[in-house]
Amino acid sequence: MNTIILNGSPKGKTKQSNSQIFAEHFIKEMQNPCEIKSIAGNDPKELARYVAGFDALIIILPLYIHAMPGIVMKFIEELEPASSEGKNIGFILQAGFMETAQHKYVQPYFRHLAEQLNYTYLGTVSKGEAAGIYMYPKMFKKVLKLVSELGAAYESTQAFDDTIVKKLSKPYELSQFQLRLLKVVDIVGLSNIGWHKVLKQNNAFEQRLDKPFL
Amino acid sequence: MKTVIINECEKIPTSGEYILDLAKADVKSCIGCWSCWWKTPGRCTYQDLDQFYHHYITADRALFFSKITKEFVSGNLKTLFDRMIPLYLPYTEYSTRESMHVPRYEHYPDIEFYYQGSFETPAGRKTFIDYINRVFYQFHSKNIVVKPIGERII
Repeated sequence: MNTIILNGSPKGKTKQSNSQIFAEHFIKEMQNPCEIKSIAGNDPKELARYVAGFDALIIILPLYIHAMPGIVMKFIEELEPASSEGKNIGFILQAGFMETAQHKYVQPYFRHLAEQLNYTYLGTVSKGEAAGIYMYPKMFKKVLKLVSELGAAYESTQAFDDTIVKKLSKPYELSQFQLRLLKVVDIVGLSNIGWHKVLKQNNAFEQRLDKPFL
Repeated sequence: MKTVIINECEKIPTSGEYILDLAKADVKSCIGCWSCWWKTPGRCTYQDLDQFYHHYITADRALFFSKITKEFVSGNLKTLFDRMIPLYLPYTEYSTRESMHVPRYEHYPDIEFYYQGSFETPAGRKTFIDYINRVFYQFHSKNIVVKPIGERII
């Protein structure tokens, strides 16, 4: 199946784009790696025409306000329904929030979209707690290995492997234990260390709670 | 009562202290730079929405008139949602047993969200309504109404 991967991150093909890192790992162990293109920087109409030449489209994207980034929706607006059977579409969502239940508002939409386009829906893979991947890639070795395995399995079966999808999607919701742990982390002031470090580097720490538009 | 209007539909009789006309204005895309969180807290690197931010955050009520495309919000309106992130802090809190962004301001407007367009199935409509409710719940609005544009009481 002739598949194209689209990176839906507004950051495009940059080192700061976690979706680009996911895409590169998705094709890493393929015998015939798929082409990767960025939605950012491409004309959505032209890109929609280009992807119509493929049997399958996999969009790898960050979760923005519980759904796709605006640039991805602008691209979706330009997609034409397939005139015959045999087209496929799938999604790989990665987000900052830990629990993948945050993705449940857009997942059914992606299914509806596939129906509207007369495409077979390959599914949506969800990964939470992924915002730090480009900053701390070594901490995410296991996750990226799973993404490579997902890509290799996709090349042989033209489907997302259920076992790998389940592993990536954990936790779906925060457990009692995780909630208690997060509370402790918050009380001892560890939860915002990363944010505060960068705010200080940028000489913006004192302004962090500013309300500039009142 | 201060009302702001965000409109992308035609022939909508509207009056409010501030109108953002999305039929005419293309909102610049969020580039995911997080400047609004860790460089210039509360301010986007772009200035095209500065007036909107001020009026939205000081309003009692925000009226949205949304033109549905492919059974979802348009790319332009979705871009506006993405660009509203400077109105919230980067920090996460868990008091509702799930991750939520912490508010930057004390008050956010109530939402009346009217949509123009149709859905092929009731499930498609439900997905859309659930999504809009969730967006403004995450955006800390207390009262949220989502209805077809025909049910608007002028």
